Amino acid sequence: MSAPNDDNASAHSQLSSHFFAGLLDSIIVDVASECHRIARLGLDRNLEEEEEELRLSTQARVMVADPSNSGEANSKYVVDIFGQTHPAIANEIFDCMNCGRAIMAGRFAPHLEKCMGKGRKARLKTTRSSTAAQNRYSRSSSVSAYSPYSNSHSVNQAVNGTPGVTGEDYTECTFEET
Amino acid sequence: MSSKNNHRRDGQIPQPCSHLADFRSRNGHKPFRALQECLRAKPLGRAAIRRDPDEVPRCSACSHSATHRLYACVACASVFCHSSQSSHAAIHAESITPGHEIAVDVDRAELFCCACGDQVYDRDFDAAVVLAQTAASTLGGSTLPPVPPPENLRKRRRVDYRPWTPDPRERFLMGRGSSPLQIGDEDPSCLPWGLRGLNNLGNTCFMNSVLQALLHTPPLRNYFLSDRHNRYLCQQKNAAGHDISNKKNLRPCLACEMDAIFSAVFSGDRRPYSPANFLYSWWLHAANLASYQQQDAHEFFISMLDGIHEKVEKDQFKPQRQGSGDCCIAHRVFSGILRSDVTCTACGFTSTTYDPCVDISLDLEPNQKGSAKIASSKSLHACNGERDSCGISTLVGCLDRYTRPERLGSDQKFFCQQCQVRQESLKQMSIRKLPLVFCFHIKRFEHSVTRNMSKKVDRYLQFPFSLDMAPFLSSSILRSRFGNRIFAFDDDEPDTSNELSSEFELFAVVTHTGRLDAGHYVTYLRLSNQWYKCDDAWITQVSENIVRAAQGYMMFYVQKMLYYKASEKLLSS
Repeated sequence: MSAPNDDNASAHSQLSSHFFAGLLDSIIVDVASECHRIARLGLDRNLEEEEEELRLSTQARVMVADPSNSGEANSKYVVDIFGQTHPAIANEIFDCMNCGRAIMAGRFAPHLEKCMGKGRKARLKTTRSSTAAQNRYSRSSSVSAYSPYSNSHSVNQAVNGTPGVTGEDYTECTFEET
Repeated sequence: MSSKNNHRRDGQIPQPCSHLADFRSRNGHKPFRALQECLRAKPLGRAAIRRDPDEVPRCSACSHSATHRLYACVACASVFCHSSQSSHAAIHAESITPGHEIAVDVDRAELFCCACGDQVYDRDFDAAVVLAQTAASTLGGSTLPPVPPPENLRKRRRVDYRPWTPDPRERFLMGRGSSPLQIGDEDPSCLPWGLRGLNNLGNTCFMNSVLQALLHTPPLRNYFLSDRHNRYLCQQKNAAGHDISNKKNLRPCLACEMDAIFSAVFSGDRRPYSPANFLYSWWLHAANLASYQQQDAHEFFISMLDGIHEKVEKDQFKPQRQGSGDCCIAHRVFSGILRSDVTCTACGFTSTTYDPCVDISLDLEPNQKGSAKIASSKSLHACNGERDSCGISTLVGCLDRYTRPERLGSDQKFFCQQCQVRQESLKQMSIRKLPLVFCFHIKRFEHSVTRNMSKKVDRYLQFPFSLDMAPFLSSSILRSRFGNRIFAFDDDEPDTSNELSSEFELFAVVTHTGRLDAGHYVTYLRLSNQWYKCDDAWITQVSENIVRAAQGYMMFYVQKMLYYKASEKLLSS
């Protein structure tokens, strides 16, 4: 706390402030110079447009969240723009292009999956007991057990251990009685 | 920023101030080129002006070196300090007039007019700086990076659009070979063509949503409606090589199925259509995706484009270059080219690769603390960060992040050809060629392999209705890497279509609501600036606000302006 120390301390802090100010100035001019170039050469993005889009979307979210609005977002449909109504499960009927049966549209995908032998459920089913297999194959003769992809699971289907292929073979096999 | 230059083209130099103009007319470009010897550029750093590499510049008048900015007079090479308070550089300029007004910032290599007190720009000076920078970081010190852009970008000549109308003979032929669509007794409010619901066949909303977007993708729609892929002719050709009796052996043609859907949807019949044949053909093509389970719409999109491409490619004899878009309509519409630059942090050597892409998958930024509150209407200046000051994620922000230089981890060291060792490096993506239609896919579904679980990111993402892709082009990214200098980088071919049109308009948004395992896809379509919601069989009209507030999963943008290229071959009539 002697006077020279105080002077040194203040001189030090003055010097460091001086350098800090110089560094800060240098950084500021750096950024300014960079932005100046970008602006002068027309390379900057059109910030006004971007801000406008942001503003519009914020406004939109507010309006949609407001329950007093018509509730367009979550309302149940009454009629579509053509004046039609539609059931929860599509009820158009057409023929399956794989097996030829008449299927309802809303249930077409699960049918096709089994029909083509694809999907987890279809494959899992084939590893069940022989009774289930027997029931399936004896029920509908029009269902062709043959499909281009039968090879992958035909081994599982074989009840008597024979590598089954076509539906004709199965009708002649004797199944185990349970 | 001058307001009248609202949409100046990249790299156009502003008018030089009178002092710079005088200097140029008096000395030409010689002094700037001469400065090249004094340009010292560090790899990945910016250029500085030093007479010797180790010089510490000082102001000739007052010997300040640290606190004031230093400028070297271009005419006499003496260095002076300059600040708003005191400027020996300005004094120097005034004292020896004319001819000494132009100086160069020694630390940034920027030209400065001491008389105007403003930064000025000159093409030749910038060229010298760029050459110095590339020389510092290129293999063998050659002046330009030897990266040839992919061959297919040698542009074909652009031609003017010539409108066409059929002559009487053609009109007769058209009339004979077609039947006009009945408008029926719809009210004359004239609902747009091509709006038709698609029946959900059992968890197939993922397929319906993407189909709706594709049905209204302008170039794709025009292609199919112009009968460019006639399913009858295609099936005839297909059948010619196979045993027709066994229909199951025929390879499915997804393009034919698309053609059928286009015909059905644009027929004027407004009852919902069941895309059953399409589903069947798609499952034949994508056996691994065939199951009665909710699928990912984006995965379906990629699979579908692949299906259209594969079938077409097998029919052709010569392999097409990737990314050229000449192979099939799917790629013609969606395919762009991405450029990836990997730069060695030690020596600055850059290795560039080009890859074709049909879409861009963007990450939402990782969760930050605090929820994204709905901000007040006053938003502060949108900064370069992904989140603006309101904390909302934006599509433009995601693109910024996508094209930002990324420091690869120390476990991913890249072998640098110049250093001949593995070095830490920076990677930066940019878009070399814009597709006609951009599909942005937001990665909302996170799959964690380690924990064997997946979750959905519900965070809102703002997306603009109009989008300018210019800042993400390779030319822009490359330019900014060199300090935004005015220079014709070898990427900037004068005929490049990017230069004229990088503006895109939103026309379809696929949204996902609900949980990962129990969710629902819906598509919003923009037709004649009216928005329609396509929810499986239900088509309803909605306001713009609903779309803006929706949770976007895939956004489709189309180029505002399309150009015609001179045809390489004559079409057979």
